Amino acid sequence: MIQPMLWGVGTSAYGLFPGRRVESLAWDAVAEAVGDAGITPGQIDAVVVGSVFGPPGVATRVQRGLGLGGVPMWTVENACASGTSAYHEAVEAVRTGRFGCVLVLGVDQMSTLFSGAIVPEATDPEGASSLPLPGLYALQAQRYRAEFGVTASQLAEVAVKNKRNGMDNPRAQLRAVAPTTEEVLASRMIAEPLTLLQCCPTSDGAGAAIVGPDRGRRDDLRIEASAMVSGALWDQRSEDVWGYASVARAAEKAFAQAGRTPAEIDVLEVHDAFTIGEIITLEALGLAPRGKGAELAPSGHTRRNGPQPVNPSGGLLSRGHPLGATGTAQLAEIAWQLRGRAAARQVARHRVGLVETMGGGAAGMDGNACVVTILSTQE
Amino acid sequence: MAAELGVGRPTKRRSGAAAGGLPVADPRPVFDGQGVQGVRCGTCRYPVAQTGIPWCPACYGPVAPARFTPTGTVWSATVIAIPVGPLRPPFGLAYLDLDDGPRILVRLAEPRVLPPGTRLRITGTDCGDLVAAEERAS
Repeated sequence: MIQPMLWGVGTSAYGLFPGRRVESLAWDAVAEAVGDAGITPGQIDAVVVGSVFGPPGVATRVQRGLGLGGVPMWTVENACASGTSAYHEAVEAVRTGRFGCVLVLGVDQMSTLFSGAIVPEATDPEGASSLPLPGLYALQAQRYRAEFGVTASQLAEVAVKNKRNGMDNPRAQLRAVAPTTEEVLASRMIAEPLTLLQCCPTSDGAGAAIVGPDRGRRDDLRIEASAMVSGALWDQRSEDVWGYASVARAAEKAFAQAGRTPAEIDVLEVHDAFTIGEIITLEALGLAPRGKGAELAPSGHTRRNGPQPVNPSGGLLSRGHPLGATGTAQLAEIAWQLRGRAAARQVARHRVGLVETMGGGAAGMDGNACVVTILSTQE
Repeated sequence: MAAELGVGRPTKRRSGAAAGGLPVADPRPVFDGQGVQGVRCGTCRYPVAQTGIPWCPACYGPVAPARFTPTGTVWSATVIAIPVGPLRPPFGLAYLDLDDGPRILVRLAEPRVLPPGTRLRITGTDCGDLVAAEERAS
C-alpha cells in the first residue's frame, strides 16, 4: 500500500456571495491548493468533488475553467460530510495506487437557495413533518440535557469559544464580534434550547486539497488515517442521542488505522453546525466520557491555548457552513495549523491533527455519513 | 436592499407543495384513527413505520403489514421558534417511542418541551403530521 500525503490546500473566502458564480468560488480554492502543493494543473490525474446542492454539472463547469478535461471525475453527495467523503475517496485511490495526484474539491452556494435554515426535504418522513436541521439538533440537545444535566451556558460556551477563534480567521463569515455567554443565550431562539448564535450561518464557499503519494517533501502532511462510514439505523432500540454512533464508528476506525489514542491529538476541526454537535462529537471521538463533553469548552481544554484546541478556525459557527465545502475547509485549517502557518490562530502543539465531518438529516438513520481523518507532520 | 436571499427561487431541494414546491409522495407515517400503520418483521418482530420496504432492516426477515398502538413515551421534545414549511412558530416536535412500535416524529398538540418519559397519545393529524397530546390519567 502507498502512503497517502496531503500535498496542498486552498479555500475561497466564506460568506454570502449570491452575486458570484459558484464556479468562481471553486477556482479560488483550487488555484490556491495547486500553488500550495507546488504542482501544475496538468499533474492532476483525477478529480473528486463534494457538493450537496450542486448545481448539477457544477463540477464540469469548474473543470472547464481549469482546463482539467478528460481526467476521471466524479461528484459525491454525503450531506455535510460531502467534502470529506470526496477527500476520503481520493485518499483511498492514492493508497491503492489507482491515481497518483488527486484534486479534491468541496463547493456549495447556499445563498441562492435558502434565506434562512435549509428547507427540509419533503421526501423525507421527518422533513415532511417540518423538522428543520436546528430542530434535529435541538432534539439531540434536549435528550442530552435530560440525561446529563448540562446547562444552557455550557452549550453557549462552545459558541463563545469558536466565535472568539473566528475573529482571527480572515476567511470566516462571522468575525465582527465575539459574543459573551449572555449574548449567545439572549440571541433569538431557533429551536429550544438552541439560540441563533448557537447555529451556523447560511454560507457560500469552496475548499480544495491535493492528495498524492509520498514525494519526499518535508511540508507534505502524512495522512495517517481516513475513515468513512455511512449511517446505520437509529431507532427505538438506540440508547445514544442521534448522531453519536455514526461519529463513534468512524472515530474507532480512524484511531485504529493510525494506531493512536484521542489523547495524542494536538488540534481538531470538528462538526459544530450547532453547539451541541461539538459536544456530542468530542465524546464520540473519545476526548471526554459520555456526559462530560460539555465541560471541555468551559474548562478551557478545547480553547485555542488549551491542551487540545478544537475548531481554532472558528468552526462552522464562525467560518460558515457551505455544506460540501465544509470538510475541505476543515482540512485546510488543520494543514495550516500542522505546518505552523495559522498566524494569529496558531496553536502551540501542532504535530497531529484530526478532522471530523458528520452529515445527517435522513430520518431513522444515525447520520448520512461521517468521515474522520488523522494527519501528522513528518517530524 | 435586494430581495431576500433565496426567496421565490426554485431550489434543488424538493420542498413539497406545502412549502411552495411541486407535490411529492407523502413519506410520513400514517395514523388511521386506531393506530400507526407500518410493517413488522415476522422473524425478529422489528417494527417500522414505513410500508413498501422489501425486508426487515434489522435482520432481513420477511415483513408484514402491522398497526402500532397510538401511545408511547417521549424520547426527546423541542419547540421550534422559526417558521418551517406551512408551520408558524411556536410548534412542538417530539420523538415518540410507541409502546409496541417504532420511534417516530410527532407534532405536539401543545408546544412544550416535554421531558423524556412523558406519556403521549396520538390524537389525529394536522396537514398530514401526526399530532400527539399528553395522556390524561383516567
